[in-house]
Amino acid sequence: MRSRPAVGVGLAGLALAAVSHPVVATGIARLLGEAPRRALDGERLLALALQHLALAGTGFALVALLGLGLGILATRRAGAAFRPAIDGLAAGAQAVPPVVVVALALPVLGFGGPPTLLALIAYGVMPALRGTAGALEAVSREAKAAAEAMGMTRRQILFSVELPLAAPGIVETLRTALVLAVATAAVGALAGASTLGTPIVAGLQNQNTVPMLQGAAATAALAFLGDAALLGLAAILRINRP
Amino acid sequence: MNAPTDGLAARAARMGPGVLALAWVAALAAALVDAPLLAIAANRLVPGLPVTGGTILGPALPGVLALSALAAGLLAAAPGRRAAAGALALLLAATGLLAWGIGHGAALRMAGEPSAARAGLGSGAWLAAALLVAASGVAIRRVSRPGLGPATAALLVGGLVLAGRAGTFDALSLAVEYAGRRAAVHAAFVEHLVLAGGALGLAIPVVIGLSLWRRGQGLVGLVIGGVQVVPAVALLGGLVALTGGLLRAVPPLRDLGLSALGPAPAMVGIAAYLLLPLWRGLAAALRAPDPASLDAARALGLTDVQILARLRLPLGGPQLVGALRVATVQAIGLATLGALIGAGGLGRIVFDGMAQFAPDLILLGAVPVVALSLAAERTLSAVEDRMRTGVSA
Repeated sequence: MRSRPAVGVGLAGLALAAVSHPVVATGIARLLGEAPRRALDGERLLALALQHLALAGTGFALVALLGLGLGILATRRAGAAFRPAIDGLAAGAQAVPPVVVVALALPVLGFGGPPTLLALIAYGVMPALRGTAGALEAVSREAKAAAEAMGMTRRQILFSVELPLAAPGIVETLRTALVLAVATAAVGALAGASTLGTPIVAGLQNQNTVPMLQGAAATAALAFLGDAALLGLAAILRINRP
Repeated sequence: MNAPTDGLAARAARMGPGVLALAWVAALAAALVDAPLLAIAANRLVPGLPVTGGTILGPALPGVLALSALAAGLLAAAPGRRAAAGALALLLAATGLLAWGIGHGAALRMAGEPSAARAGLGSGAWLAAALLVAASGVAIRRVSRPGLGPATAALLVGGLVLAGRAGTFDALSLAVEYAGRRAAVHAAFVEHLVLAGGALGLAIPVVIGLSLWRRGQGLVGLVIGGVQVVPAVALLGGLVALTGGLLRAVPPLRDLGLSALGPAPAMVGIAAYLLLPLWRGLAAALRAPDPASLDAARALGLTDVQILARLRLPLGGPQLVGALRVATVQAIGLATLGALIGAGGLGRIVFDGMAQFAPDLILLGAVPVVALSLAAERTLSAVEDRMRTGVSA
């Protein structure tokens, strides 16, 4: 029962993946009254999806590592002084949308993946950090005090009390970061990164609906499937909770 | 706090301000002396040759550094509010002197160059600006007087605009780019506001309608939560296809001015992402009063409408404004993508700049987007804070 949201989201992802199939997408375009144009074949779509996955995955891993690590540091005793600065930076960084970071990084980093990764980190790290810090701060004081009274070291308290108790909140934060990573990789197509955003952007420019629809459905499918995976992880964590 | 028992951490905390101030001054000096303050290029497309602050700023360089070092020293040595106010004044003077020095130096440097040559701001200029803004932020926080932050920002922006009007920055590439397409930038700015505002105007009634549907809240949450997962580029692409199909099925819609590419599908797409923060905020606001006060209100004979107007909305006000803040910042950012489907806005200038690989054109579109969303964020969070303190008082 508890894993139901994961199943629903996963099914939505699979349905969208089916829509991105050349035959289905062509059928939908015909239903919409579009003139039949050449669809992207399955092979090309799969290649783009893999590149999308690689770029979004790298970005997600970087954001997760930085966000988690800095979030843990910010909640240690020595990090308390930096909290106002972190919150200010987080609000400031949110004001620069990923498209704008991609655009600004383009002249400096050139075409391709790097501007996309930078955009992802610039936009994604601060919310991930804030989410992690929030989840760690929500761990009850009593639990920490009890662990201290049991003679656990600070490291033990972190790894066997704070992180397990904060895990559901941290997974929530990671879900946002993952969705953001998939979306930003699609925007990266504007900077010449070859992802599932490429057929969308090209299709919009050439009024070519079928590849546009395929790219849009496949990008959304990736986002839903990734979200389902993390929802499943959250369900497992909750079941295993003592 | 100042017990010497905590060893290293306490010592670091005591030494912290001094070390931080020194590092800040060193970074500023490096940005102005070592890093390229300007990049001088033969035209707007080729990468420029770096020129450091020593050549550009001339006698203004020691002035900027001295003012900044004095401010940093003041912030590090004296913890009081008065010292912080003094430091803020010094930092503002340094910023003004730096801006004037860059404009003046660029004008001198570009005097003999052909008209196609461009002087773009280099990494040193951006780094120095970021450092000065960060230090000003610290000073403003320490003075902790309400309204000082916005007032300082307004003073800075106003000063830069006035100096720009007076021609101080005419030699800089960004100003040349702006002078060439003033009308287009202004039109794009208005289009951007219309896109973001229209999306908000579309999302708010929808959210109110959805929250009235009591039984369906679970389904509503599922659907508008699911929308958040769809990448914006994909949703916009899908909406263009759907609008195209709709227009073919019902041709009279065309006469209403609807088209597959343009502001209408963009507004709908942006509005779709605003539903979740607004819906959550509205739900939280309606839950804000505790059951006891609601019972008391009912016992007093207040009607549901009176309870809504006198109890729920005033108590839930901060949550509502908070939701509006999140939605507004998102709308301004997402409106940038609207240019992708022909909706115009500042995104069009950004994408033109990307297509031409012209950094200054990208900046010309990007700077207003960032300024708009920062202004919206700061303004609405100030309103939110004021309402919060008003409620608790």
